[in-house]
Amino acid sequence: MVGSLNRVMEESGEPQLDAKSKVTNQLIDFQWKLGMAVSSDSCRSLKYPYVAVMLKVADHSGQVKNKSFEMTIPQFQNFYRQFKEIAAIIETV
Amino acid sequence: MAAELEGSKSLSGLLSGLAQDTFYGHPGITEELLRSQLYPEVSPEEFRPFLAKMKGILKSIASADMDFNQLEAFLTAQTKKQGGITPEQAAVISRFWKSHKTKIRESLMNQSRWDSGLRGLSWRVDGKSQSRHSPQIHTPVAIMELEIGKSGQESEFLCLEFDELKVNQVLKKLSEVEESISTLMQPA
Repeated sequence: MVGSLNRVMEESGEPQLDAKSKVTNQLIDFQWKLGMAVSSDSCRSLKYPYVAVMLKVADHSGQVKNKSFEMTIPQFQNFYRQFKEIAAIIETV
Repeated sequence: MAAELEGSKSLSGLLSGLAQDTFYGHPGITEELLRSQLYPEVSPEEFRPFLAKMKGILKSIASADMDFNQLEAFLTAQTKKQGGITPEQAAVISRFWKSHKTKIRESLMNQSRWDSGLRGLSWRVDGKSQSRHSPQIHTPVAIMELEIGKSGQESEFLCLEFDELKVNQVLKKLSEVEESISTLMQPA
């Protein structure tokens, strides 16, 4: 998985405008499932585990949406590792 | 069978072409293209069943995700069959599977994923900031952008904001996933 790290720590003495260049959402809920793909019509012996994630997110207006996606195990490990990094940094800021 | 078909020289190229078409989904790899490029001396009528045979063998190997023992046994059986393959051809197929197995398997996995996959992830942490106009001190916030998309479709970008509390909540869930994975991966 291509993941780029962008670490910018901003400290400013000026009032920060709420406007952001991207619309950000709040995470309301995080559901996960560990699945195992066993077989498919193109491959009888798939046998691969995957992590399926269902995010419930709310935008600024309060509208709630569900977003789901899947990760392979290596992708998940990378995802987890990056979250741990975020946690370590956010703690020290 | 035409002598050219029995040889193994062009077989490697044929298997590559078959993989492109069957697994990687590249368009335009027709029977005629393969014949004219790799077996120009062979007639279309003779080529067709030969191509079907090789395609069938490759699909069987991929579908069963054969390990090397299974592969050897399978190919040996094919050499003993009436209208099967030659030992030289078996060797070419064996070499091909060994070097392409991982990539073909990945293609098959992607083909069977119908939900979005995670294509990319980037993030930053915004630090404390103070406003001279407001006594509020903003708490640190993590901004994360997830790039998700279905096979063959354009990516969707989802931007999320987390405070420290939320990061830790998610982290806890992720450690639960990790634990489940460990349990699953434990040898029986």
